Amino acid sequence: MLTQVKNAPSMTAPAGSPVDFVSQSNLALKARIARTISEEVVAGFRIWRVWGIMGWDDIRQRYRRSVLGPFWITLSTGIFILLLGIIYSRLFHMELEHYMPYLTVGYIVWGFMSATANDGCVAFIDPNRIIKQIKLPYSVYVLRMVWRNFIIFLHTIVIYIPVAIVFKVEPNWAMLLAIPGLILVCVNLIWLTTVIAILSTRYRDIQPIIGTAFQLGMFATPIMWPISSLGDARIVAELNPAYHLIEITRAPLLGEVAGLHSWLAATAMAIVGSVLAIALLVRASRRIVFWL
Amino acid sequence: MAAIFLKNVGVDIPIYDVNHASLKKALLGRTIGGRFAQSGAHLTVNALKNLDFEAHDGDRIALVGDNGAGKSTLLRVVSHVYPPTSGTVHIVGKVSPMFDTTLGMSMDATGMENIQIAGTIWGMSRAQIRNSTDDIVEFTELGDFLKVPVRTYSNGMLMRLAFAITTIREPEILLIDEAIGVGDSGFFKKAFARLTQLVERSRILIVASHQDETLRRLCNKAAWLDHGNLMAYGEFETVLSAYRNPNTPAQQPATA
Repeated sequence: MLTQVKNAPSMTAPAGSPVDFVSQSNLALKARIARTISEEVVAGFRIWRVWGIMGWDDIRQRYRRSVLGPFWITLSTGIFILLLGIIYSRLFHMELEHYMPYLTVGYIVWGFMSATANDGCVAFIDPNRIIKQIKLPYSVYVLRMVWRNFIIFLHTIVIYIPVAIVFKVEPNWAMLLAIPGLILVCVNLIWLTTVIAILSTRYRDIQPIIGTAFQLGMFATPIMWPISSLGDARIVAELNPAYHLIEITRAPLLGEVAGLHSWLAATAMAIVGSVLAIALLVRASRRIVFWL
Repeated sequence: MAAIFLKNVGVDIPIYDVNHASLKKALLGRTIGGRFAQSGAHLTVNALKNLDFEAHDGDRIALVGDNGAGKSTLLRVVSHVYPPTSGTVHIVGKVSPMFDTTLGMSMDATGMENIQIAGTIWGMSRAQIRNSTDDIVEFTELGDFLKVPVRTYSNGMLMRLAFAITTIREPEILLIDEAIGVGDSGFFKKAFARLTQLVERSRILIVASHQDETLRRLCNKAAWLDHGNLMAYGEFETVLSAYRNPNTPAQQPATA
């Protein structure tokens, strides 16, 4: 009876759900990696309806009682950019028509990355009741955070439309490169959120560190100032991973072409980061539930 | 068909206090070495010890035992939430845990929206949710309340909705932890009938509870857990009387 069942578990069990748990020591490393990728990562992408509705409900919940709804962020971001644009364009001696589009895109993409990373700190802690009751792939909770911040990003990036019209940004085909740029940003955010979520569930004092890092990062990254203003010290920005992620979305939207090295850097980060995230997940996926 | 095979399953639950959940402490502990070494070893609870357990189609198993005996841990192992520290867990069939019925409910969303949200988290397809919505509306008797946020509900109303949502599933292996509160007593009869239907639709039931009468109505077998050990497992009345009267000799054959 026992052997008969063991030979055919996948036929009776629903696809993507784990049918067998073996204690850690009984599994070879290779098998553990394969299992983690399929059960904790891929399976989560497949049940997109679950993280889709979770992320969507987060947005609805946050703005349900405000008159403007999610457009409240659109408005506040718009006002922030307008004020900052007027003041900083003078500080950096840049013409408003160049500075405003530059600041708008950079600030909004940065906001997307920073908010996602910050939400990553509670990606497993917030839904702890669900994690302790139903086995869902951990990527579900990560994708929920990326998705909900992507919805907010879509609400704020609309600010760029009037900005581009007022400051006469010429539309051209290179702008379409913003789409692969944004996809690469999302891939990088998925691995980063995974890493942050695991570490901050284990070590609860990581959350303020992430918050501070991204707060400082905004000033250290060419968002409010052009990279050319660094002069000889340009390398400081080039070594900043966030710069390349912003550049591959910002440059196309401004009608320019991002440097090949920025694309390469973003791709390399996506690959190395994903390997890191999976390695961490292989080590931690069986313990996360006990950390909650 | 559905089946559960646990072989030699042990579950150690690490307990993390504030110090163990701190990166600063972990780093300090490493550099200072010995001084912090003692606090570095965290506490572990052996929630289950070398458990052998099997269940097949038609088994309706009552889990009995005192608080902290490992009932919830066993349910969480079967539902894949807790990975075992040792041994093997082999489950055939879709597991439907029913530990906390209000799971996944969003307080600011309306009753109708919650049917969508909770239903999706419970793993139901869009069509399944659509087809069961009328049934939930009828069962809960909430009427127009389903159009307002659930935070305006009374506790009883919320429990009704949550219970209705969690009982529309088609479970193969149904796991229930503790008796499910469903508000006023008039509603209880209706809820119990619905629960019985759900149990009949499932292939295997495991229910942990302290209410013998409820268990007697739902179960044909019982498993007695004590401090993480399976003391007895078999026919319902035999195991239950062994558990309730541990000093009578009836316990001896059951333990062996």
